[in-house]
Amino acid sequence: MMIPQALRGLLLLAALLFAAPLVRADAYEAKLPAELNTAPRLCDYVPCAEVLPGATIFSERKGRPFYVEGYVEEKNGKRLAGYVMLSTDITDIPAYSGKPVVTLIGMDATGRFTGSRILKHSEPILLLGIPESALVRFNQQYLGKFVGDNIEIGQSRPEEDIIGLDAISGATVTVIAQNQVMMSSGAAVARQVGILERTVRPQARLLETGATPDWATLATEGSVKKLTVTPEQVGLPRAAQPFIELWYGYLNQPDVGRAVLGEAGWQNLLARLKPGEHAIFVIRSGGKESFKGSGFVRGGLYDRVQVRQGQDAFTFRDLDYLNLYGLAAAGAPRFDESAIFIIRSDAFSAAYPWKFTFLGNRVDRETGTRSFANFDSEYWLPAQYLDGGRPEVKKPAPPWLRVWQTRRYEIAAFAALLIAVAVVYAQRDRLTRAATRNNKWPVNGFKYSFWLISIGFVGFHLMAQPSITQVLTWFHALLFQWRWELFLTDPFIFLFWIFIVATVFLWGRGLFCGWLCPFGSLSELLYKIGGWVGLKRFQFKLPKVWHHRLKWVKYGVFGGLLAVSVLSMGLAEMLAEVEPFKTTFLVGLFNRSWPYTLFATGLLGLSIFTERPFCKYLCPLGASLAMPTTFRWFGLKRKSECGSCKACAVGCGSQAIDEHGRIDQRECLHCLDCMVLYTDDHACPPLVHERKRRGKAGQPLTPIGADGYYIPIKPVSAAAAQAAAANAATANAPSGMALQP
Amino acid sequence: MSREHNKTPEEQLDPSRRRFLNTAAVAGLAGASMSVGLSACNQDSKPASAAPAAAAGHADAAHEGQNPHLKPGELDTYYGFWSGGHTGDFRVLGMPSGRELHRVPCFVPDALVGWGITNESKAVMGTKADGSLKYTVADTHHTHASYKDGNYDGRYAWINDKINSRIARIRLDYFICDKITELPNVQGFHGIFPDKRDPVDPAINYTTRVFCGAEFHVPLPNDGRDLESPEKYRSLFSCVDAETMEVRWQMLIDGNCDLVATSYDGKLAATNQYNTEGGYHYEGMMSAERDACLFVNIARVEEAVKAGKTTTIGTSKVPVVDGTRAANPDPKSALVGYVSVPKNPHGVNATPDAKYFICAGKLSPTGTVIELAKVLDWFDGKLDDIDKAIVAEVELGLGPLHTAFDGRGNAYTTLFLDSQIVKWNVDAAIRFHAGDKSAQYVVDRLDVTYQPGHVNASQSETRFADGKWLAVGCKFSKDRFLPVGPLHAETEQLVDISGEKMKLVADHPVRPEPHDFIIFKRDLLRPKQVYDMNEFPLAVKDQKEAGVFRDGKKVTVRIASLAPAFEPREFKIKVGDEVTIILTNLDKVEDLTHGFAIPKYNVNFIVNPQETKSVTFKADKPGVFWCYCTHFCHALHLEMRSRMIVEA
Repeated sequence: MMIPQALRGLLLLAALLFAAPLVRADAYEAKLPAELNTAPRLCDYVPCAEVLPGATIFSERKGRPFYVEGYVEEKNGKRLAGYVMLSTDITDIPAYSGKPVVTLIGMDATGRFTGSRILKHSEPILLLGIPESALVRFNQQYLGKFVGDNIEIGQSRPEEDIIGLDAISGATVTVIAQNQVMMSSGAAVARQVGILERTVRPQARLLETGATPDWATLATEGSVKKLTVTPEQVGLPRAAQPFIELWYGYLNQPDVGRAVLGEAGWQNLLARLKPGEHAIFVIRSGGKESFKGSGFVRGGLYDRVQVRQGQDAFTFRDLDYLNLYGLAAAGAPRFDESAIFIIRSDAFSAAYPWKFTFLGNRVDRETGTRSFANFDSEYWLPAQYLDGGRPEVKKPAPPWLRVWQTRRYEIAAFAALLIAVAVVYAQRDRLTRAATRNNKWPVNGFKYSFWLISIGFVGFHLMAQPSITQVLTWFHALLFQWRWELFLTDPFIFLFWIFIVATVFLWGRGLFCGWLCPFGSLSELLYKIGGWVGLKRFQFKLPKVWHHRLKWVKYGVFGGLLAVSVLSMGLAEMLAEVEPFKTTFLVGLFNRSWPYTLFATGLLGLSIFTERPFCKYLCPLGASLAMPTTFRWFGLKRKSECGSCKACAVGCGSQAIDEHGRIDQRECLHCLDCMVLYTDDHACPPLVHERKRRGKAGQPLTPIGADGYYIPIKPVSAAAAQAAAANAATANAPSGMALQP
Repeated sequence: MSREHNKTPEEQLDPSRRRFLNTAAVAGLAGASMSVGLSACNQDSKPASAAPAAAAGHADAAHEGQNPHLKPGELDTYYGFWSGGHTGDFRVLGMPSGRELHRVPCFVPDALVGWGITNESKAVMGTKADGSLKYTVADTHHTHASYKDGNYDGRYAWINDKINSRIARIRLDYFICDKITELPNVQGFHGIFPDKRDPVDPAINYTTRVFCGAEFHVPLPNDGRDLESPEKYRSLFSCVDAETMEVRWQMLIDGNCDLVATSYDGKLAATNQYNTEGGYHYEGMMSAERDACLFVNIARVEEAVKAGKTTTIGTSKVPVVDGTRAANPDPKSALVGYVSVPKNPHGVNATPDAKYFICAGKLSPTGTVIELAKVLDWFDGKLDDIDKAIVAEVELGLGPLHTAFDGRGNAYTTLFLDSQIVKWNVDAAIRFHAGDKSAQYVVDRLDVTYQPGHVNASQSETRFADGKWLAVGCKFSKDRFLPVGPLHAETEQLVDISGEKMKLVADHPVRPEPHDFIIFKRDLLRPKQVYDMNEFPLAVKDQKEAGVFRDGKKVTVRIASLAPAFEPREFKIKVGDEVTIILTNLDKVEDLTHGFAIPKYNVNFIVNPQETKSVTFKADKPGVFWCYCTHFCHALHLEMRSRMIVEA
């Protein structure tokens, strides 16, 4: 018996997957010493010598932001070998997981990268999908490269002075983030030590308008801004009170400064500012958390607030602090903590936008571990306070935008594909009418073409295979923090999901699953090929009773993943390997450890003999889409005879038509075979019956209406006929194929 | 005289006073210094004066008032500068909380900071030929700060030492005393006031002079001559340059000087005179019915100095002009004018509207309002009698001493004998004096405890008097605090004057015995957080510069402190060496001060961040001496030491 065997094989594979020796990555959620972020002697805790080969003596953390000097011992003293920096000292750019990849970076005294070491990451893809060594290999591309170069992911473009790095297939978001981390960390240190020129921004020419705005006006025009951090943003239980609510603003501008401090206070401040120095005020108007902390007492540094402008971060020492003696502006909020901070750098200019950052800690509710979490808000002095208005600012395109720009042709092609599929499917009635039981090419010609494009272009080339992990990620993003940037970084997946969401609610999930899913397409194509090459006699369907039991498994898989993801996203991502997508398209069948390869090839092999075994029984993505499909707008058509006639059900590859002739739209993959029959008067039994009856009765064969029947013959007056035609047209409008032959 | 004028207000307020004035006033006043008659004074005056004040307290319930008490973390809204009396110090208080924030040592040694120990402080304080301090006691009474445009500008404050006739300047960026000048040929230097702008140059809208009044008559020069000829004793009025702290000039005057006031236009300085008689016992000093307020025409004096119309006294090189009546018969060329003021006046204060000086009568129950424009008219020959500049002389109560202002036209005068503050309206007093007997110039009275001396209000001595708070320095505290033996703390009481009625809101004990004080808005100062190392020529700018440097018997030990260590960690010297230790605090963190004590060598001083100080001593004891940090600095504070090894 082949059926139980096949079933056994399937189960065996599943068992193998979970029992397989899962090679855990070293740095995945690695436990780092608590001192790492604070200890002056950074190199006592991390292998600095590894990233700065040759250096044996390392200084304490110095500079703002921090770095460490590494020295080579020589006969007559020591020689500066270079610098070592901890990425999280400098930037907190999150990777795919939303958490930073903690990287130790080495750079020689001339600004060339000498090494890097991933100390900790939370990237699920590197946990299972891709060996961690891929990221290590990726980082090795930086060796010897100069920190001041324009290094980007993708092709080198000498004409634009851009050095390209090879990405990691399937982990684009991770490496884009990693590139930002490497380059901004290196640059931040290089600028401090003089390898790169410091940014000097043209100073603002402040315009005095003579206005004395009240607080509400200041807030409306953006001269004072609010920064609120909620308890849930730092991992605390939700509460009505903010964790901290701050107001801040720029005081050098005469109108704003006077309005905020009052004339005497502002004059007094001016008397203390040297040329080129800038003052901002900060007050706490809500919450219990202090923005001063106590770090400045011991080390002299305010470690909870920062100003950032472009790549430059400005921190404040105790000597950069002045008392704020009160707010003069009418309607100013009450406050219980306050400061005037002075920025002493010509790298800062009030003419340009800057960010005020509150540096907090987020407590992970799962593990209790603390991680850095920065909260910022942007400030740009209103144009009326700047002589000549706000200067034009060319913001470097965010990474996601650059991806969209560099891949615009592929994106256009992909979008065209999606539109084409939708348009074709919208015309399905025309296609199914054109097709017959014996010649389904008017439908299948399109479908098979889309399959091929989907497998080759979408799957293998673009690697845009949607996955249940995205559903889980969005689910969590919806719950916690929605970051468009994260989703926009992969334009194909982004567009794909727009298509999926739209079509699921229009027509049901079958259009994506049956026509466009790369793996599904591959799976069914293999089945078709199997049939064509003569394996038809080995092809089988599960018995109904088994099918109807097993089809629920995928919902279980989805539910299980969702439940696990609430507890641990990492584990859920790991378990999402039940999808063979990563192995098939993203990483490649031969690039993975054997359990994965075996699982994927097993499923594909099985596909030759039975139609879409994975889709029908295991796919959590299909399950997740099947549920909203219940609310689809347009379903497939049925006739009253379908309840007794089983003609379609027999041929339904998805086994989605039940004994009462109803189509389970959640299981239906829109192959449209039944719709071809629907209007085929040589295949659909009611039509065949009527055709024969009319033939016998010598009645003409009227066209088949939208309801799938011959239009009944009723002699009527011309006027009534017209009215009836109009009524029919209205009533049948949704089909788009009203009676107008 | 103003007896007639006084009748109505006196009756309206307290009919018993007149009797008291006639019988007990003199004895009571004497009691301030001689403890004679005080009980009689209190017995007589207390029941009488309590009633109206209590009534006032009830009436005040409608006014909500201000809260002087701060929550943790809240900052005071005003600075207060207090004199320290014969502790010799200068104190900084936060107001309205009354919390003492700092004491700046000036004239007398201070063990905390090493004032009088370090070479730098000794250079400021002045030494004898052998290097020891010239003086170690002082009596500070009055402190005032530098002005610009009629408000404090946060540069300097000055304070007097009455015992040794010295004036000290305090830099308000670091809150340290940086100069001390000894006034020649005077004793009892009491009143002090900076000018507010130059009388001639409109560009100089800030303080450039400080005027100093000497109370005591002494022989000139006081070198042993005229010991038994008190009638030859004289008093001088002095002018000190605000920047150089040199004495610019002195002026020989008739009578003596008590307190000093200056006009906002810079043209006039004044000093009240309680001993125009030149008496040398108190009976003699209080024999005249009227004493005087002496007005000095600054521009004319300086012209005279410039013209060389000066002499010098003894070994002093300071030019002395003659400001006696005899030498200044013609108002049009006079350097001075003497306005008569009733009986032993105390205190002369400038109103914030810049129009008047007010002298309090002390032995007379009156306040005398002198209009400055009329004084200037007299100097211009437009007024025949300078006493016509008196626009009011009204009865206030018993023992009026000092007056503060709220910027709303009201004056607040302490009544020493009544233990009260009287709030009175200056314009109403002028109308009353002019004959409008319906003018009710007394607005309110408030009992204070006890025996108030100086009084001052927030911003009162500027054009920006804001009428928020009034502090009064009560010389006796008696039962107001837990007893600590016979010596009592004094009571600085805080009064809310933002309403129509005065409201006593706080008692602050202070260590005796402050006299005068000023209160001003906190944003007028710009204190620095750490020192600028470049201000110290001796600075050990790097740990590498530390070490022992020997030049014969003279040894210089250069030490750098950086928490938690001194560099060098040990140093060797020999018995008989003259050792100079130079210590620089290389720490830059605000508030990270280190101390440096040498056991058995009587050395202790502190270095604030980026500050350098030095001490010099003779190594006269062999052995090991642990020099240690006395000012808490670091978790390893106790371990922060350096070993001084003195080899025999």
